[in-house]
Amino acid sequence: MILPLRGLTTSRLPSLHHHKPPPPRTATISSALSIPDEALTSRGFTFHRTPQNLNLDHLNSVFVAVGFPRRDPEKIKVALEHTDSMLWVEYEKTKKPVAFARATGDGVFNAIIWDVVVDPSFQGIGLGRAVMERLVEELVSRGIVNIALYSEPRVLGFYRPLGFVADPDGIKGMVYSRKNNKKKSQFL
Amino acid sequence: MQTSSSASSLCAVDCIFNRSNQQPYPSSFNFNLGLPTGSRKLKVSKLNAGFWESIRSGLIKNNTTQVIEPPSSPEEEEEPLPQEFVLVEKTLPDGTVEQIIFSSGAEVDIYDLQALCDKVGWPRRPLSKLAAALKNSYMVATLHSVKKSAGEELTGPSSGKKLIGMARATSDHAFNATIWDVLVDPSYQGQGLGKALIEKIIRALLQRDIGNITLFADSKVVEFYRNLGFEPDPEGIKGMFWYPRF
Repeated sequence: MILPLRGLTTSRLPSLHHHKPPPPRTATISSALSIPDEALTSRGFTFHRTPQNLNLDHLNSVFVAVGFPRRDPEKIKVALEHTDSMLWVEYEKTKKPVAFARATGDGVFNAIIWDVVVDPSFQGIGLGRAVMERLVEELVSRGIVNIALYSEPRVLGFYRPLGFVADPDGIKGMVYSRKNNKKKSQFL
Repeated sequence: MQTSSSASSLCAVDCIFNRSNQQPYPSSFNFNLGLPTGSRKLKVSKLNAGFWESIRSGLIKNNTTQVIEPPSSPEEEEEPLPQEFVLVEKTLPDGTVEQIIFSSGAEVDIYDLQALCDKVGWPRRPLSKLAAALKNSYMVATLHSVKKSAGEELTGPSSGKKLIGMARATSDHAFNATIWDVLVDPSYQGQGLGKALIEKIIRALLQRDIGNITLFADSKVVEFYRNLGFEPDPEGIKGMFWYPRF
């Protein structure tokens, strides 16, 4: 059978969304990193893209330090095993993770970035930006251009300069809430 | 004639499940196909043939009643959601019976899916990528319509079976899931099928302990999802996209 090969897919298809085909997107998205690898490695930070050597208890501590609920490390392990792309920064002196981000998705059309964190003691020096730029760059290089995330209101300003737009064309991020489920309320 | 054909269907069922089945027909809609993916289509239709008898005898009260499966019970119910079941059954004036079958484990014919995407007006996507996206999805839920004329036997592997709806979810298998590509054939819209699709997906995800279920909704369908329990911008958290093409 002959598959209609059309090159890089360009259409973005959120739930029940219909629109005319967008113009083809060429691969000239700027991949200039605002902080080159060198600038960070020379200061004792190394990048990793797999969960190998990542101490999950240390990672969990970073999550807790920034205000995430503490999660079961076994569950974190499962999540990382089923995560398409991730990037974490190790501080050479302590061998601990100080910045992290990961993306899940279908590997061809869509990706969602989760758990973007920087250890509070290491915030403000560009690690978060460095992690995000590289994660996005990796996704784009795999042809995934529909990259989304859920941002807390206080960090919208962190994502905007990275190229993220909130509610584009009125598209809303929505989350299922069990207490909103009317049927369930009968049993409360 | 129906008895003998059911017997032959029984043999097929026995072969598939490799166990002795003393009952004449499947006793309930709750069956787990668990079949190797390549052979699923043929065996589904044989199983459905055995189904028809149980449906006719047990379910149809009168010829025009549209029987709908009991409303989804809350998540507290111990019984796991069956992988495939009849969502709706309708008898048309000419005696044709149509079933809408929900499945969370069915193989999706990529060409059928592309045809369905065309029907709802979505831009075309390369078939190979469609296939990869489905393969990499944590859950793919489908709605198929199966039609059978009065007295007709379900013969071929996909005779009368049409893909009329789909939704899929990606997930990290632990914390988060995101629902994408929700679509229902326009000729089947307005009957609550999209709602049923989403409700079943949610239930299946919650049963697997995936607590954070998310999606991105066009402004026009925010209400639709709100009515299903989704909240936009919870606590001010905003969905953001990287250089969206709008």
